[in-house]
Amino acid sequence: MEFIKPNTLKELLEIISTITGEKYYFAGGTDINIQIKKDIIRNGKIIFINHIKELNGIKEDENYILIGSTTTFRQIIESKLLNDKLPFFQKSLNNFASPLIQSQATIGGNIANGSPTADVVPLLLVLDGKLELISNSMNRTINLKDFFTGYKKFILKPDEIIKSIFIPQNAENGFDTFYEKIGSRKALSIAKIAVAGLKKVVNNEINEIKIAVGSLNEYPRRLDLIEDYLLNKDLKDIDFKKIRIILKEEITPITDLRSDKDYRFEVCLNLIKKFLLKPDSG
Amino acid sequence: MKTVKKVDARRKLEGKAKFLDDYSYDGMIYGQFFCSNSHHGIIKKIIFPQEYDLSQFIIVSAKDIPGKNIVPEPECDQPFIAEKEVFHFGQIILGVAHPCKETLKDFIKNIKIEYKELPALADTKETLKDEMNSFGRKIIIDYSKNVKPKREWIHTHSVYYTPHQEQAYLEPQGMIAIHNQEQKTMFVKGTMQCPFFVKDAVEAIMGDKIKEAIIETSEGIGGAFGGKEDFPNIIAGIASLLSYKSKKPVKIVLDRSDDMKITTKRHPSRVEIDTYTDSKTHKIKKINIDYRLDAGAYQTLSPVVLSRGVLHSGGGYACEDVYIKGQLYKSNTPSNGAFRGFGAPQAFFAIESHIDKIAASLNLDPYEFRRMNIFRIGDEFPSTQKITENHLFDCFEKVIEKSDYHRKIKEFAKFNKSNDDKKGIGIAIAYHGGGYTGNGEKVLNSEVKIVIEKNGVVKVFVSNADMGQGAHTTLAQLVNETLSYPFEKTIVQIPNTSKTPNSGPTVASRTIYIVGNLLRKLALKIKKELQFENLEEFISNNQEYFPKEFRMHFVQDPSVIFNEETYQGIAYKDYSWVACVAEIYYHSVTYTIEPKRIWAVFDIGNVVNVKIAEGQAEGGIMQGVGYGLTEFFYKKGYGRMQGLTDYALPTSLDIPEINVEFIHTNSDFPKGLGEIPMHTPAPAIRNAFYNATGIFIDEIPLVPERIIKYELLKKK
Repeated sequence: MEFIKPNTLKELLEIISTITGEKYYFAGGTDINIQIKKDIIRNGKIIFINHIKELNGIKEDENYILIGSTTTFRQIIESKLLNDKLPFFQKSLNNFASPLIQSQATIGGNIANGSPTADVVPLLLVLDGKLELISNSMNRTINLKDFFTGYKKFILKPDEIIKSIFIPQNAENGFDTFYEKIGSRKALSIAKIAVAGLKKVVNNEINEIKIAVGSLNEYPRRLDLIEDYLLNKDLKDIDFKKIRIILKEEITPITDLRSDKDYRFEVCLNLIKKFLLKPDSG
Repeated sequence: MKTVKKVDARRKLEGKAKFLDDYSYDGMIYGQFFCSNSHHGIIKKIIFPQEYDLSQFIIVSAKDIPGKNIVPEPECDQPFIAEKEVFHFGQIILGVAHPCKETLKDFIKNIKIEYKELPALADTKETLKDEMNSFGRKIIIDYSKNVKPKREWIHTHSVYYTPHQEQAYLEPQGMIAIHNQEQKTMFVKGTMQCPFFVKDAVEAIMGDKIKEAIIETSEGIGGAFGGKEDFPNIIAGIASLLSYKSKKPVKIVLDRSDDMKITTKRHPSRVEIDTYTDSKTHKIKKINIDYRLDAGAYQTLSPVVLSRGVLHSGGGYACEDVYIKGQLYKSNTPSNGAFRGFGAPQAFFAIESHIDKIAASLNLDPYEFRRMNIFRIGDEFPSTQKITENHLFDCFEKVIEKSDYHRKIKEFAKFNKSNDDKKGIGIAIAYHGGGYTGNGEKVLNSEVKIVIEKNGVVKVFVSNADMGQGAHTTLAQLVNETLSYPFEKTIVQIPNTSKTPNSGPTVASRTIYIVGNLLRKLALKIKKELQFENLEEFISNNQEYFPKEFRMHFVQDPSVIFNEETYQGIAYKDYSWVACVAEIYYHSVTYTIEPKRIWAVFDIGNVVNVKIAEGQAEGGIMQGVGYGLTEFFYKKGYGRMQGLTDYALPTSLDIPEINVEFIHTNSDFPKGLGEIPMHTPAPAIRNAFYNATGIFIDEIPLVPERIIKYELLKKK
């Protein structure tokens, strides 16, 4: 194992453009350290990025709120800007992990670790989050939705890193919001199921709907088919038997050490129902 | 009833207190274990990785043991190191030491082993179902009167299962061994509950290579809960062997995941109960209990856990016809061992669940049914021991009143009619016999020592460890309050087997009850012997008399007679009592039980330090809540949880409102407290869940994945 600490963003991008083998970015270290300890990471280069200024901090421009990839959950929870502009997003992360981990763990790390259970991803998916990817040769912005391609797999090129996360300024405006993470306890838990949702209901009719789930597929994703079914529907006309059938196509829960497939499915369905029938907080 | 600050609090808060891994010695090297990954097999071949220079490693196997390869235990059947055959995964096959921790870890990871695999039993339920798997002595308490069930008696039958539980002490297990060639001694320092057990173990494994093993605990012991009762024997034994072979101090500290994998856990149980209850008088007429524990691959101290479990399995109820059978079962898993409660939490989960089941079949409120059958003066335990006080009943009535039980029963019934989410309230009662079972304390023959120094320091010498429970504060209080002497000058010494007399192990809720009361007696004797008005003045006026040493042995009350064959007689001289009410909220969307409030009323006799006692009670209650709700340890087909990420101990956000009260505190002496808080939360929560949903679940933990199976069945 080799440890590298570039001094600037430029240096970082240059270094990674030359590395061919295995490499890992160390921001908060809350996942990397454990993977090293458990021998999941044995070789390769560990690159420290948590000190690089351009990657950290929360700002806004005319259209977006921009969160640097090494911004910690503590920064997010305490941000005044987020409290003003994206209170639902901020509040939903209050019980993320534990106070100790909140201070270390970063939003970019939570995404790029690639875990199906990543807490922040379902939230960002319903908020139509985008990622700014950066490399020595180019910059590009993609929808977070298009980032994942499989279990721990992304479209990131070998010389690319996530520079920041973009959330539209008005992402929460006028929406009825919903987020529930189900773990084995109230804090410091890994999600068995997570459901995030935004809806706009006018005269009992669903005008806009966004639902994303975590821990139920190879990576967190939007439930496009369910959204299609629900769009423009009258709340009274929702057939939950139909939703059950669609959901079977859209999520692939598994049985593992932490939970069971059936439990994950039923609770996901219950949470969607709870979200849809929840009185509009408006 | 005084509250003084814990003597260790400041040093621990400031990070100054030394725990085992903070100690280092000149030339010290590190040791670890190479363990089996087979449940059952004959070792064919061990292949060391070629890329390492083998001469740099100290390696010990069973062949290197100069003494006996048997760990001293109530049942001596477990080797320190496996010989030809392994009987469970995680069984130690080699001890390995090296100056560099990382190299050692990598080396061990790359050792290859080949087995001839043999049939194995790894699943708890499968093990406990089949009587073919039983081993060791069968314990029977025969209080049966051959009463024939009458037609109007209601028969209730159920089988209850409880799981493994991990002690999850903050500080993992560890030992440092230092062999002294000239003096032929082995000095061992470690995180442990029972220094004299470790002494026996080290002397057993080292045989005639040493004259004496000297065992000392580290300054701080980061929790134990029973987990550091007997497993330290094995670590100390192998550390000693490595130190003897390397001629260097050897430190072994287990990694959390190894600690979870190979050390002892709470015994899983299967308890089958048959009862007959008179439908008119609501009296339980006949009880039949089959109490089984999964001991793991060896018996070790399990016979003693079985004994306590059996003696507590009838619950706090009078019945004229009781038959209890208890037996250990053998599986190919690491030996289970001591854990707060020692067989009793399993017993109370079963009987307290069962009592609610009978009440339901009689259409009676669980409170009314308990009230009808609860122990009163003149009743008897199945062991024929007489009930001499109504303190259990007093705790019971008090907790019902405090929790506003009757109002809540009505209020929740109304709420539940019109809501998908449910509210529930449940009761459990329990007791715990203080000290060793039966004649155990007589055999232990504990001794304590007090030395009064010239400079006025009163030194207290006991072999009992302070592992965070506050024993060295409360024991000092019992001495200084009796002598009317300043607390700051009364100091309990760190246990060291060459300096402290053997006052027995730090187990069985006996530290204050047996050792503390003995110290108090000794202090009274000192007071009588020296005839002082003021001890400080007496010391400064009679300097020639000091330092002076005083000793005293425990003397068992002669009325305490227990027959180990028939299990008749006085099993424990004094019992602590508890009654508990739990209130829950059931989230129907997620099938999750949220504990809201827990009330517990205890009789532990005289309370030495209120804050410490409350801390013990609240901590034990949370350990009981985890046991009942979240602490899922083993999943068939997936194995054991490997760390504290998966093994869901409750966090501070999961703690309900807890209300603790001690009654009958004006008693003459303190009784046991350490274990009893563990007994009632799990059954009280399970009963509250029944109250909320009408679903009986006879197995814990009540994780939502288990609950949903019952809910889906109900829907069908």
